[in-house]
Amino acid sequence: MIDFSMYDFKEPEIMAYKCEKCGTLYYPAPMICGKCHSRRDPVSDAHWETFALKGPCTLLTWTRLWNLPEGYNKKYLLFGIVQFDNGLRASGRLETDNPVTGMPLVATVVSSDERPGKPVNVFVFKEAE
Amino acid sequence: MAMDAMEQKLRPPEIPLKPYPPKVITLASGEKMVVREAKREEAGALLGTIYPLLGVPADFYDIVAARMYSEILGWFRYRVANEFVLVGTINGVIAGIVTSRHVTPKLGMSLHTMTIKRGLRVGAQLFAAKMEHHLDILGEEEVYIVAESPNGFKRWMIEYELEDRSSQFPEVRHELGGVPTYVLTRPLWEAVRDVKCTGTRPVLDADLKTSAKLIMPSEYPQIPGFKR
Amino acid sequence: MAKVGVVGIGHTKFGNLSEFDLGDIMAYAATDALEDAGFLEKRKEIDQVIVGNMASGLFCHQSAVASSVISKMDMEPVPAELVENGPASGASAIKIGYMAVASGMADIVLVIAGEVMRKVTGWTGTEYVATMLHPQAEYDMGLTLPGFGGMFTRMYMEKYGLTERDLALLAVKNHANGAKNKYAHIQAECTIEAIADGPEANVVNTYVAEPLRMYSTCPVSDGAAALLLVNMDSPKAKLFSKKPIRIAGIASATDTHCVHNRKDPLKLDAVRIAGEKAYAMAGLTPKDISFAELHDAFSILELAISEEVGFFERGKSFLAVRKGETEIDGRLPINTSGGLKSKGHPVGATGVSQAVELVRQLRGEAEEGRQVRDPKYGMAVNFGGFGNNVVAMIFAKE
Repeated sequence: MIDFSMYDFKEPEIMAYKCEKCGTLYYPAPMICGKCHSRRDPVSDAHWETFALKGPCTLLTWTRLWNLPEGYNKKYLLFGIVQFDNGLRASGRLETDNPVTGMPLVATVVSSDERPGKPVNVFVFKEAE
Repeated sequence: MAMDAMEQKLRPPEIPLKPYPPKVITLASGEKMVVREAKREEAGALLGTIYPLLGVPADFYDIVAARMYSEILGWFRYRVANEFVLVGTINGVIAGIVTSRHVTPKLGMSLHTMTIKRGLRVGAQLFAAKMEHHLDILGEEEVYIVAESPNGFKRWMIEYELEDRSSQFPEVRHELGGVPTYVLTRPLWEAVRDVKCTGTRPVLDADLKTSAKLIMPSEYPQIPGFKR
Repeated sequence: MAKVGVVGIGHTKFGNLSEFDLGDIMAYAATDALEDAGFLEKRKEIDQVIVGNMASGLFCHQSAVASSVISKMDMEPVPAELVENGPASGASAIKIGYMAVASGMADIVLVIAGEVMRKVTGWTGTEYVATMLHPQAEYDMGLTLPGFGGMFTRMYMEKYGLTERDLALLAVKNHANGAKNKYAHIQAECTIEAIADGPEANVVNTYVAEPLRMYSTCPVSDGAAALLLVNMDSPKAKLFSKKPIRIAGIASATDTHCVHNRKDPLKLDAVRIAGEKAYAMAGLTPKDISFAELHDAFSILELAISEEVGFFERGKSFLAVRKGETEIDGRLPINTSGGLKSKGHPVGATGVSQAVELVRQLRGEAEEGRQVRDPKYGMAVNFGGFGNNVVAMIFAKE
């Protein structure tokens, strides 16, 4: 039977990984756990827990990038690196008028089709409401 | 001498334009570039500067040179209305030229930007000076802009975040052929002026003097081994 | 292990060479190196050619450049292979060449590295260079190498008190050196007044990736460089008239692909470890180094690398720059060639270009005004990715 749910709209998500054997968290996905050396099978993800990486985080550093690569028809974009409460870090877009290192943010995910090819999921870090 | 009656019929009506006050910019190399309005009697030096680039297809120099040549000639021979030409000079040598036209008290028509000396953002500075003239000195509300090269598109359309009005064609139409029309509005200009436009006024007499006589470049980075 | 020396160097001028074929410019630099070594006619006696290049497939739509260069130089059937390690491809090619000689598999190795980046527009080039980032966690976000340069600079500034003016001082120093280097892309000085202190500096020296400005970022360049390596212990070493410059130490190290996954994102562990290994191999310490070529694709990297390889305490290098210690006549001249900022950065070529500068300085062949006084040991660091694959080299005047 065809799984018609594949045509449903899905909220874009970016997944983080947890090694079930030793509990170490990863983003992006590793192929071997750096702590207990468990392998990850990228097809089944067996013995690895996956979860959406999102929510409250803190800004570690940022830049306003003026010379954007092909596809981004904007004057500039802000980018930042954030740290989540669980210790994981991520790089992505930043949407705030007045970025300050150390500010609390909320990580959201959007689907971007700015570049040619399949749309990709992109982190957008925003100010907490 | 009274003007020939036919010539009088051929000439476009002119609106007297406020002059562009000269300014000086210290380029990264430490060299001073004087930016000022070119005078009609300087057309020869301007045309002579542009002419060699007619044969340079790289970066669309040929098309910009050909069009700017005709714009300056048209301005010199009274065949374009309300045109102004700004020139950037380093020790008197022409580093870049921009052409533009005042259409109505509210509207400007940006024509071309030609960079001779490369690598020092001369073109970017002169384009900004041209917009400064349109919006801050002539007091227009909008300037129509088109890009005829990828460099131009990236510099103006994206870096100034110009408003794309190509969907309003033919009501909104730039004079240069049918390429899509983009617009620099006053709010867009206010948003970029501080990072795009600079220069010191008044220009010291000594600096202004260096620019009194326009000198055609003796070398072109675009034309290796050039000899005038 | 056999001792390995450099007996020939070659270098094209860096700049916009986009109208030329990548293989041609590589062959040009390699021919220079063969002529320098007096080995042009005997080139088929070379045991191995190693070619360094980062992205000819993307920039020039060309693959298998090693075969192309061999054919252009009429060197068949000499074996030739390509080494790719991002912007550290050049130094990696030297390292592989070194390993070939040191292992005894080869006595004479020609290392050639080059890149033609300007066949495409600047923003397409930025995009191609960004493909070295983590494909999903960095590249897909729209990030670029200058983006990481900016974020790294901000962290450094906020922790150590570096200012934008300090970065401008590096540009002034490196352009002063590059202005005198016949191979440099931008052979022009810049002034602190124009790019930092003057009223127009904010626009003239515009932001690229805040707080990095245009004059804290290298240009996009084309170019090639080459080295001829020889086993100094072999009788073949006597075939060369020029005294070899010995490769005293060469080592590389890696770090996390994602910058955000580094325990302390301000630490460049791969640089530190590559440096430590190179020092150990050479039996030297940072104090022995007479001058250095450090990969300043962004000016902040000159500072951070100089600290990681032990020239200065962490967070203190810019104080030495303020005092002029790294100028050509200072205590430890850095980027005597003009560095990537002024000499240019044809990504795959840079490591070999740095090595050519080490040899020119150690031979005493640098141009007047930028020759270091009686140098004994020169060090170079070639930085791949955003610090995830780094090569350090120490060359010695024998």
